[in-house]
Amino acid sequence: MKKNYLILILLLIGTRSISQFNSANLQAAGLTCAMCSKAINKSLEKLAFVEKVTADIKTSSFDIVFKKETMVDFDAIKKAVIDAGFSVAKLKITGIFSSTAIQNEKHIQLNGKTFHFLNITNQILDGEKTLVITDRDFLSAKEFKKYSATTKMTCQQTGKAGSCCIKDGIEKDTRIFHVTI
Amino acid sequence: MTIKNTIVTSFIAFYAGTVFAQPVIGRLAPEISLKDINGVTQKLSDSKGKIVLIDFWASWCMPCRRSNKDILPLYNKYKSKGFEIFAVSLDEKPTDWKRAILADKIKWMQVIEEGRWDGSVATTWGIELLPTTFLLDRDGIIIAINPTKGQILSLIKKSAP
Repeated sequence: MKKNYLILILLLIGTRSISQFNSANLQAAGLTCAMCSKAINKSLEKLAFVEKVTADIKTSSFDIVFKKETMVDFDAIKKAVIDAGFSVAKLKITGIFSSTAIQNEKHIQLNGKTFHFLNITNQILDGEKTLVITDRDFLSAKEFKKYSATTKMTCQQTGKAGSCCIKDGIEKDTRIFHVTI
Repeated sequence: MTIKNTIVTSFIAFYAGTVFAQPVIGRLAPEISLKDINGVTQKLSDSKGKIVLIDFWASWCMPCRRSNKDILPLYNKYKSKGFEIFAVSLDEKPTDWKRAILADKIKWMQVIEEGRWDGSVATTWGIELLPTTFLLDRDGIIIAINPTKGQILSLIKKSAP
């Protein structure tokens, strides 16, 4: 109960700060080993906000470090993967949070973007935390379906603010990233 | 020239560029001069007189790791008959590279392309995908690209030193 009050207080004072998303971990899927392709490596390295792309042996995925103080564009990562002939199987994004209260099925502004948390328990994020993007084409069709079932809001289907979100004060067609923990 | 023509021409130029960037079968293999695990520069041309399989790979490339295991018995059997593997790693972390060499029990020549995909050796050899392998005869001529084990064996058998 005490915790709920704390969340409420934090929401009221609007402590919604995050320094920046500083890195990501990407699993790409395709007919061949994605990490073994020069095209996808180059495609990711070319993104203006990407500092470094390295291969993670253990998880067969890409570790992407973002440049400091740049605006990170998750849709551009997805496009880079698709343009190289692969698809995104999972995109995990890591950022530093400070007393950021998050609630299930609620929209929140983080680092200049609108996020919608799915399938979580209400909590306060502090320190380095990793989120998983659950939008269409950011995971397998099967996984997407699984997360879609956890919400009735139509924005999960389109990734854009619809009538469901306008009541939360979000302008229509604003890009909304659906994430879970 | 119309815009359409320009687009078509540049597309052809780009396509031709990617296709012909790779060394051609029947030509002399371009030199490779890179550092081995001890930091000593090793040259491909020093293997002249041997049948050489050039193997572009990396520790995180799972298909490469499978073919390492696959080729090991063949290497052990025929190295005394003049069969050599010259492996070029595109690893970014030398520790990963060294660990993979130990794990896969690699005894053949190992060098590292520190420039990775953009390094001069990787670009000279037109590497777009790992693994990519080239089979050279005893004169250093490229005989096959991505040869099968059968192709390697038949070259070893028909070309006694």
